[in-house]
Amino acid sequence: MQKRPESQSKPQLKSTTPSNGSQPSSVPSRAQQERTYALPDYRQEVSEITVRQVRKGEEVRYEVSGDLHAPVPPLRDSKYLSQQQCIAIYRFMVMNRKMETALEHLYKQGKVVGGVYFGLGQEACSCASAYALAKDDWFAPMIRNQGSLLVRGFRARDTMMQYMAKAGSPTKGRDGTSHFGDLYERNMVAPISMLGDLIPVLSGVALGARLQGRDIAVMTYIGDGGQSTGVTYEGINFASVQNLGLVLFIESNMWAYSTPSEMQYRNKDLAERAIGYGIPGVIVDGTDACQVYDAAHEAVERAHRGEGPTLIEAKMMRMKGHAIHDGANYVPHALFEYWKKRDPIARMENYLLHTRKWLTLEENKALLEEVEREIEVEREIAVNSPMPQPESALGGVYCEEGCHTIRPKYGVPKVRKGTGAFRQTEAAVHLK
Amino acid sequence: MPQLTYLEAIRQGIWEEMERDPTVFCLGEDIGIYGGAFKITDGFIDRFGAERVLDTPIAESAIVGAAFGASLTGMRPVAEFQFMDFIGCAFNQISNVVAKAHYLWGAPAPLVLRGPSGGYVHGGPFHSQNPEMWFVHNPGLKVVCPATPYDAKGLIKASIRDNNPVIFFEHKYLYRRIKEEVPEGDYVVPIGKARVAREGTHLSVITYAALVHSALEAADLLAKEGIDLEVLDLRTVAPLDRAAIVQTVKKTNKVIVLHEHARTGGLAGEIAAIINEEAFDDLDGPIVRIAGLDSAVPFSPPQEKFYLPKVSDIVQEARKLKAY
Repeated sequence: MQKRPESQSKPQLKSTTPSNGSQPSSVPSRAQQERTYALPDYRQEVSEITVRQVRKGEEVRYEVSGDLHAPVPPLRDSKYLSQQQCIAIYRFMVMNRKMETALEHLYKQGKVVGGVYFGLGQEACSCASAYALAKDDWFAPMIRNQGSLLVRGFRARDTMMQYMAKAGSPTKGRDGTSHFGDLYERNMVAPISMLGDLIPVLSGVALGARLQGRDIAVMTYIGDGGQSTGVTYEGINFASVQNLGLVLFIESNMWAYSTPSEMQYRNKDLAERAIGYGIPGVIVDGTDACQVYDAAHEAVERAHRGEGPTLIEAKMMRMKGHAIHDGANYVPHALFEYWKKRDPIARMENYLLHTRKWLTLEENKALLEEVEREIEVEREIAVNSPMPQPESALGGVYCEEGCHTIRPKYGVPKVRKGTGAFRQTEAAVHLK
Repeated sequence: MPQLTYLEAIRQGIWEEMERDPTVFCLGEDIGIYGGAFKITDGFIDRFGAERVLDTPIAESAIVGAAFGASLTGMRPVAEFQFMDFIGCAFNQISNVVAKAHYLWGAPAPLVLRGPSGGYVHGGPFHSQNPEMWFVHNPGLKVVCPATPYDAKGLIKASIRDNNPVIFFEHKYLYRRIKEEVPEGDYVVPIGKARVAREGTHLSVITYAALVHSALEAADLLAKEGIDLEVLDLRTVAPLDRAAIVQTVKKTNKVIVLHEHARTGGLAGEIAAIINEEAFDDLDGPIVRIAGLDSAVPFSPPQEKFYLPKVSDIVQEARKLKAY
């Protein structure tokens, strides 16, 4: 691991001179051929930890190498966040974690249907990213972004009722977890379990808004595992070609279920993929809410200016198994120790209490208690809400007459028409 | 009234909807300046602009995903598949994102996915398929398969106005082979309603798309032998017009179900089950299936001809069933 100066890393790719040394006059000059790509890196530390499969006697296990005893760097001061905003993000992160802790308890009490998915260790990425969105922007969370939902105005009870498959859940029991949406107030597309599909969908949302005269930001997330899918490429490429305001967080949390990122991709950093799409790529420490916010804010501003998509890689570690059933015994213990010291909430708390002195111990205690009380109220409401009637499985397959009014969300598109009238085509027949 | 080909009727329908409704736009591969592989959108970009006639990368999942996303903002996208065979590339988007959206989270998705399908043109295994059953088995989608220019125009307009995802299968064999009088201006053909293409008394052929014309040809031949065929054109295969199916069975008491796609797991099986459930006592003979083979659609003309249902197959099966 090494400390990086403010100027950040700038990988440079240089074209090579032809092997025979000739320089035909038509070939651009050396200077023109030189390609320089900048990948802004907001991190205060760059860890060089790698995981690989090794045989130990009769067993094959994951082995970690790298400096696991490096000191934890301070948070990077945000260029944009005020004291009040930092505290607001911190509060969302605390609520995110307390909600998931409550869900863990509900699971152990047998009240959850299916499993529970956690964003432990990723709260800064979920909360600070969504906090950068404006009201008219859209987002779609993935399974571990339950904090994003809180930031966008959903209540903890919404997610809790989803997990308990209650009649009052946003999907009325039809789906669980963070799989719900809202087209009207919070502009959220419901995620599905298949990975990467939200990327073209969110790009389409931005396309729809642009046809209505608005450049909006559309934020979604993908993991280091999920980004392996083909639809991820299709979606980012579509947004790139059409210059749509996609803000894509690649949450590099080191483990895709049980598979380490070393077995998902060959690049050093997934942000490098941005070069291939011809769009800006940024690297942030996913456990530093200030860095996450700043990168998200800049990407959102770019989107609002109509300047196109941004890919942000947030580095962190998933601090639990894939879901509650998974003890993550395959993860080398030393990795948990390393990342535990980089807990996003503890880091933010320390920053607010000690570095900036923006919160007193008493204020922090009051904040934590208030969130605890709120989660308790939400939990009570969720637990006491009824299960759906069996026959409520019926209906709603189609949008029937009068069920929804379809209208352009940002205003009727202004159309510019050419003067050509409809004429019959005399085209060649493709297949005879 | 002008005579229009099936292809021109579809073109006119989309054009009129784009004139009428500024939220309608097209996207797809090569649909802009080139006008699409079959020229459905020829000249559209000049009239409606590059924003509303959007050329996309060769990325079917992105096309469907973007169409769905745009529909969530209240747009009405019409996405073209260059050939419907390629719809498989976007299967997850259609099946898991689009089709389930309204049932799961109340999101209406007013989009149309359209393109050429079907055989009889020696297109080979990847340009001749009828993949409609992949979507009939996907609750939440409407699947439309017109057989005539009049229906093609009325149904594409109805599909664009529908608040649900509609997969619109155009039959490429029909594009420029059939012509009929099609009214200029606005009319719609309702989705989900079958049409009796020929009244008859002895037995019913239930079919759709290009095979409606084969059934009508067979009916003319059989009429000379005194066999009176009724032809029911389904027009929409999801949701099926169960009432029309039952009605024709009650009338003729004998049924042939005819489709191009592979026999096993095909639409004929579903229709036979509907008849079994709702009109079993009205049957005077076994339900006969005439369908494509359980293989890919082969390329070479003699093989393709062998694979696909023919007029002579219908004539032969009708004779047997009449005599039963």
